[in-house]
Amino acid sequence: MAVYKRRYNPYTGSLTAAWSRFFVLTRFAFLDLFKSRFFVLLLILAIVPNLFFAGYIFVANNKTVQLLMQIRSADFLAVETQYFIIIMTVQTNVAFLLNCWVGPVLISGDLTNGALSLFLSRPFSRADYVLGKLAVLSILLSAVTWVPCLLLFGLQSGLARNGWVWSHLWMILPILLCSAIWVLMLSLMSLAVSAWVKLRIVATGVIFIAFVIPAALGEMFNAIMGTYWGALLNLSYMFRIVLERGLRDPFRLLAHMGRHEIPVPAAWAVMILVCLFCLVILNARLRARETVRG
Amino acid sequence: MLPTIELEGLEVQLGGRTILHGLTGVLKSRAIGLLGPNGAGKSTLINTLLGFHKPIKGSARMLGLDANTNGKALRALVGYMPENDAFIAKMSGVRFVRYMAEISGLPPDQAMERAHEAFVYVGLGEARYRPVGTYSLGMKQLAKLAQAIAHGPKVLILDEPTNGMDPPARKRLIELIREIREASDICLLLSSHLLRDVEETCDEVLILRNGKIASICNLVEERRANRKFLELETVGVEATFTAALEALGCECAIFSNGRIKVVMPDTVEIREVFKVAADRGVQIRRMNHRRDSLEDIFLNAMEQTGAADGRI
Repeated sequence: MAVYKRRYNPYTGSLTAAWSRFFVLTRFAFLDLFKSRFFVLLLILAIVPNLFFAGYIFVANNKTVQLLMQIRSADFLAVETQYFIIIMTVQTNVAFLLNCWVGPVLISGDLTNGALSLFLSRPFSRADYVLGKLAVLSILLSAVTWVPCLLLFGLQSGLARNGWVWSHLWMILPILLCSAIWVLMLSLMSLAVSAWVKLRIVATGVIFIAFVIPAALGEMFNAIMGTYWGALLNLSYMFRIVLERGLRDPFRLLAHMGRHEIPVPAAWAVMILVCLFCLVILNARLRARETVRG
Repeated sequence: MLPTIELEGLEVQLGGRTILHGLTGVLKSRAIGLLGPNGAGKSTLINTLLGFHKPIKGSARMLGLDANTNGKALRALVGYMPENDAFIAKMSGVRFVRYMAEISGLPPDQAMERAHEAFVYVGLGEARYRPVGTYSLGMKQLAKLAQAIAHGPKVLILDEPTNGMDPPARKRLIELIREIREASDICLLLSSHLLRDVEETCDEVLILRNGKIASICNLVEERRANRKFLELETVGVEATFTAALEALGCECAIFSNGRIKVVMPDTVEIREVFKVAADRGVQIRRMNHRRDSLEDIFLNAMEQTGAADGRI
């Protein structure tokens, strides 16, 4: 064991760049997360569907394997936009579950015993704090959404021929944008709930409720008022609109794009407003708790 | 040299209620005590200096940096030990301090080394791998001190540091604070209800009452002035003894039972009093420096402002 001097010494060494310090929060949070076996198991399970998707793409593009398996190519769903919509739907649901486990404890632990004042009494702002915590969820959810999705896109591009990549290159932007808004909305919602609710189980319940109750209220509103705008309260549906229209789903474009469809800009606006609302309530909570009160 | 704290008409409102009423004052000492009854505005002043509260009027500066406009630069110089619980319960003590040091800008390896040093220094070396949530109240106070000093701040702000500590632990903490003060050029701002804590560690005192400055008192000058005021108990006192002291420039007052009060000029040392006594055959049985305790100063300030406010 090292022997340390029992006297106070001022620090005279170098300092890290001020802009990079928010990442200390992210690093410590990840170190804590990976101590949990349940989290590691959850993360592995979140990655498993992508292995099936990759296998599917491999088989769909490999005639030899198809012959060995005695299946005809026509039986396969072509790896087109519809397939990537399925991939992203699965990935975003997995991200939701992962977020429900990780998000609720990120801020509540700091607020329970007044540690927030220690963070903010340093050259570290509320924005740095939120950014550090947001980075935890953004990195984690990105690792199970757009990152594997783009890897699968790359795999398909590599295996497919006849210039598939060039004819589908436009898909990269909607994949990134749709994933980004979903990841951001989930992350901010989790952080806001974590700032207000101390217990993980209750916070997880609140996140579920935030998706289910407004959707139900919206349906009631539609039924009573005879309109379809109540669907604006259904966040999963808003994401589906953005995703399917973004990836030009032929089914939605031809059959459902009619009078009873929420416009895409309105769906985007709802999700951005939810993000802003979460930011406002998160800021209000942090501001109230930044000083220790007796 | 820059003053440690400068207040210029500082006015702070919380929830629409004015807490600090136009505080103006300059505190130049390296160790400043902040005194005042509950609700006087001590914690609000500390939070304003840390940039948590924005003044509606005036300014507060620490080491020349404005708390409102230069908050981040100012906080880079500060180590803060809050009054209430402030820790992450599930983290081990040393990891918690390392975490805080890294947020202050120390590289990870340096932060780890300083965290260990700080823990050993405050006397929690054996408990550093235990979760902070399992610490006793006194240990939590020491852990808070460790996180406040780990990054080597230029200003150490201690809000009620001895709260909840037993007398030996309190004594150890006060010794630590004095050691820290003497081992470096660190400035100290200590807020406490315990006048003794302030008296033992600080050179200057800012006394607040109802959000106003009741008094700013330089304890070093007070102590120096009081050193020249002697209370003697003598046997065989003679008029020639006091006359000889007066010839040296002292002022004397003789009371019953051989008690004499002497005010010495700066040029006269105590040994000269002994010499005069020895020459005159006078026995000095007791000698006290008069010492206006901080309690006297505090109560005096409270009475004065109380009278000014029309209440005590």
